[in-house]
Amino acid sequence: MESLNVHDLTAAYALDALDADEARAYEAHLAGCERCRSELATLGEAASSLAWAVEAPAPPARLRSAILTQAAAERENVVPLPVSRSRLFRATAAVAAVAACAAVAFGIWAAVLDSRSQTREASTWTVVIRGGRATIGVSELARAPRGKTYEAWVIPAGGRAQPAGLFSGGGARTVVRLTQPVPQGATIAATVERAGGVSAPTTTPLFTARV
Amino acid sequence: MSRPLAHLSDEALVALAARSDSSALAELYDRYGRIAYGLALRILRDETLAEDAVQDGFLAVWRTAARFMPERGKASAWILTLVHRRAVDVVRREERRRAESLERIPEPGGGSVDEDAWLRLQRGRVQDALRQLPDPQREAIELAYYGGFSQSELAERLGQPLGTIKSRMFSGLARLRELLGEPGLEMSWNP
Repeated sequence: MESLNVHDLTAAYALDALDADEARAYEAHLAGCERCRSELATLGEAASSLAWAVEAPAPPARLRSAILTQAAAERENVVPLPVSRSRLFRATAAVAAVAACAAVAFGIWAAVLDSRSQTREASTWTVVIRGGRATIGVSELARAPRGKTYEAWVIPAGGRAQPAGLFSGGGARTVVRLTQPVPQGATIAATVERAGGVSAPTTTPLFTARV
Repeated sequence: MSRPLAHLSDEALVALAARSDSSALAELYDRYGRIAYGLALRILRDETLAEDAVQDGFLAVWRTAARFMPERGKASAWILTLVHRRAVDVVRREERRRAESLERIPEPGGGSVDEDAWLRLQRGRVQDALRQLPDPQREAIELAYYGGFSQSELAERLGQPLGTIKSRMFSGLARLRELLGEPGLEMSWNP
């Protein structure tokens, strides 16, 4: 294959739309082409986001156990190395820093500083608005510190922030339906506040999005 | 179900899987197994083949976790890519009847309320973005990603030059990325 043509195979490769020979040629090219590696990182995330458009029934429980059983069988002679918490969290912080530099396809990255453990975690915030009602989804949101809560806000253009719901985070995924309607031009924000919530935000927002 | 690693990022879980921690693989499966299965089922239209593709994909995660490079994209995208690639390999090998367009598969739930809400949220976002693509771009992307057609097969099937198919896929994915990055919203983050 002409190397001139290989550059424009990135989108097809990201969609797994190359045949086996083309894919091998592209992978060989990729090793030496920074431009294609960077483009593939971007287009690959867009392509894999298509998986989320599919309505997904729950897989049978046997699939999970089949995977874990097979995985254990493959490594039965391997002794896991101990990982200290601090090393693990440093690794997470490095990932967060890399991700913050790269423009990511699926929303934005926010670093949440947990005041107790001094760990930084990367969270992805997304917002969907339907018929003037908003839902916020956050992945990997650290649990709010003791005595604190996350509070969502709807700030109409030129108006004051309206409390729009409390949430505590802590799971892999947090979904919050805002209790306030979102007019055109409004800003959605989230802050950390004292437990029970407050009537006006008192800290710098972790996240803002203007409609 | 207890999920002791639920607080870790996907990337931290992949790093643990690379050290043979099978509970990290279990947590990754609990986060992405359902969406991976839905994707494989969409492509393969056969529950047994879909289970095989998901199993092969997650075992590839397990075997190659040490080679995952976070600077090349998110761990979730990497996992779904591994599953997608296997499903496409099988659909081409089996010459199964392939998807014509995005068709609805009944959703018998089965997840937690949170998981269902999360999946609905993400599905809404991506479907909204797909709908905003020009028809020829959406058609090329859907047939490639959900149908497993190669670019050459698409050119033949759609009666278009290969260059046209390539540029539709490129423009469509680039636009999709923009749409998903800012779904009608301006986003910012203040440290």
